[in-house]
Amino acid sequence: MSDTAVRAARSAPGAARARRRAAVIGWAFLAPLLVLNALVVLGPSIATVYYSFTDWSGLGPATFIGLANYTKAFGDPQVHEALLHNGIWFVLFLSVPMALGLLGAHVLSQVRRFQVVFRALYFIPYVVASVVNAAVWKMLLSPTSGIGHALGFDHSWLGDPATSLLSVNFVVNWHWWGFLAVIFFAAMQGVDPQLYDAAKVDGASTWQQFKAVTLPGIRPTAVFLVLMTVIWTLKAFDYIFIMTGGGPAGSSEVVSTLMYKQAFNEYEAGYAAALGLSMTVVTAVILAVYQYLRKKGWED
Amino acid sequence: MTASLSRRRFLTGAGVTALGLAVPGLLAGCGDDGGAGAGAGDGTGKVDFWIDIQGDANQKYFTDSVVGAFEKANPKIDLNATFYKGEDLRRLVQTALQARSGPDVVRGPSATQTLAWSKAHVLADLTPYAEKYQWSDKLSAWAIKAFSTDGKLYALPMRVDTMLLYFNKTLFESKGWTQPTNRSELEAFAAESAGQGITPFGSSNVDWKAAGEWLMTVFWNHYSGPDALYDALTGKIKFTDPVFVDAVALVKSYFDKGWLAGGVDKYFAVPSQEIGANFGKGTVATIPQGGWFMSQVGQYFGEKAKNDNAWDWMPIPALRPEVKYPLFEMGIGGSLAINEASKNKDAAAAYLNWYYGDKAAALKRMADVPSTYNIPVDFTDAEIPQSIDPRSARVLTSLNKAVETGDYGYVTWTWWPPKTDVFVYEGLEQVLTNKITPAEYCKQLDEKFTAEKAEGTIPQLLERGPAR
Repeated sequence: MSDTAVRAARSAPGAARARRRAAVIGWAFLAPLLVLNALVVLGPSIATVYYSFTDWSGLGPATFIGLANYTKAFGDPQVHEALLHNGIWFVLFLSVPMALGLLGAHVLSQVRRFQVVFRALYFIPYVVASVVNAAVWKMLLSPTSGIGHALGFDHSWLGDPATSLLSVNFVVNWHWWGFLAVIFFAAMQGVDPQLYDAAKVDGASTWQQFKAVTLPGIRPTAVFLVLMTVIWTLKAFDYIFIMTGGGPAGSSEVVSTLMYKQAFNEYEAGYAAALGLSMTVVTAVILAVYQYLRKKGWED
Repeated sequence: MTASLSRRRFLTGAGVTALGLAVPGLLAGCGDDGGAGAGAGDGTGKVDFWIDIQGDANQKYFTDSVVGAFEKANPKIDLNATFYKGEDLRRLVQTALQARSGPDVVRGPSATQTLAWSKAHVLADLTPYAEKYQWSDKLSAWAIKAFSTDGKLYALPMRVDTMLLYFNKTLFESKGWTQPTNRSELEAFAAESAGQGITPFGSSNVDWKAAGEWLMTVFWNHYSGPDALYDALTGKIKFTDPVFVDAVALVKSYFDKGWLAGGVDKYFAVPSQEIGANFGKGTVATIPQGGWFMSQVGQYFGEKAKNDNAWDWMPIPALRPEVKYPLFEMGIGGSLAINEASKNKDAAAAYLNWYYGDKAAALKRMADVPSTYNIPVDFTDAEIPQSIDPRSARVLTSLNKAVETGDYGYVTWTWWPPKTDVFVYEGLEQVLTNKITPAEYCKQLDEKFTAEKAEGTIPQLLERGPAR
């Protein structure tokens, strides 16, 4: 037996002990969070599954009704309309702020003076509370005293069913794109400058540099933000609730606002739980696809 | 305690929390046992009360003239009031009640929704306290009846509601307009007003989605009439009757002409503060609103609002010759109850008894603050304090007269069952945006009403004829 093998054999029990100790310490640090999550996530999640199979007003006892809430949701025109709105919201929320964010980050990266000022300006809408943003924009979009009215254009952006969803989405995009720009800008700082130099030597135009160097360089950030955007699309609630309440006549209703109405206005908390759980399943599927693609090396 | 009961309670509390996580804005709590039987004793200790009173001045008045006065009269009870916004309060109270926690004194929603809470057994039975304190002698019988079911009293009526037509008095005088009393006069005024670029009837559902039911309350009462409403609410006729469908069509036609709110698009988009400001300036001539608006309308007139205009109110004109004028729809805006899980029910009941029991103090509060404290107690016109604003006094005397003569109608938020009540304003949005016709709206309304009536979630109706 060589010296190395002897040393390894002697230290094996010690190494195992150290590994166990490290694991215990790790779990000890994790324990408070796990307990908290078990209390506020796991317990309520199990209860939500249970209530989604019941006829429950949100008060008092619940009656088990099997899959009735789910079959009702499949045939409910309100749910179909809300899902369609979620889809429209997703397309707009994914494309417009992303495009503006990338453009803004690229422009920022070209600026040499007052860069910090511009970054702060981009960021301001994001740090202002959604309630404040929504209330201000509600006034700005008023057909009788808002920006449009001042410019001689009295369209009722929030009051017209054809534009209500788009108008709220515009406000959300406005508050969101600056945040994306700053994140993309930070990611762009990590791209090797030599790659740009090499591209220039090869005669690449600015657009070609952006396409061939910048975008691949920030892909992990972009993929993560796409994922978050998908999740936030399904969670869209605050701006819609404050600015239109899902109206007029459901024209800006999304699933989350519909759930709220069902739970608190219509006393259909069991049905709302079924809707919530369905959306959770959709989110879980998206997360699973993301993880799968990550493992396949999509981010690299 | 059995294992199954324990599990159910756990699931109940956890379920409410789950909804809070799934739906942003929802709050929840975990259940605890709580609960102390109603003993109709005298009560001491701390009483928690969550109330939706807004504005520094209003909160100060409540703190001084209600909380302070009560504690002075009951030094062994500490009334702990917490102020919330109206919509927030309902959500918070509802989740707290389900979790067997929350305030001792429950500020509930309308009669119809408080009934839903009662049926879920989260409100204490007030019958022993009603007997002990003889509340039936202190409160108007019709209002007590609205909050009684299966022979039990589950809440006390908080505020008498009616609908009024507020008008810019200065504008009316300058234009030489007289107060319309019937449909032809009303429409003549509306046409002339709109022709001059003045919105005849200001209205908006931007800040309160349920505002649509105020309009339906007005048109169903003053077009369809209270007799037809009584028949529909008691199941003698259907809401599909043309007399109701035509009322909905009339509302829509007023919107389409731009008389109401300046049109549908503005109704959905112009905030109520802006409408109020335009009302004060005179670019909106009238606002059909509830009696509660009397405590807010003053801010749009006078020095603070930078105009020299004055406001007043008139009864809603009769929209059909068969309907009486003046007619006041009656209802209850909110309720006060006791939490079934309260550990201090006796002290909570002592507060309610103090609040409702002293008629002179109640009338003084009505005189001090317009509409907010208009509890349904029986009083003569002579008992109203002289210090009251004459416009507020006129509401009280008019309602007194309506109750005595039977010339009253029904507000949707008191006498319609809860889901039907929600459809009244949600469905109206669909009519206004041409998604459904007035006939389809009434058909769907009738279906919901029939189902809920069968479930028994409808308050005991104020019957036709003199109610006193």
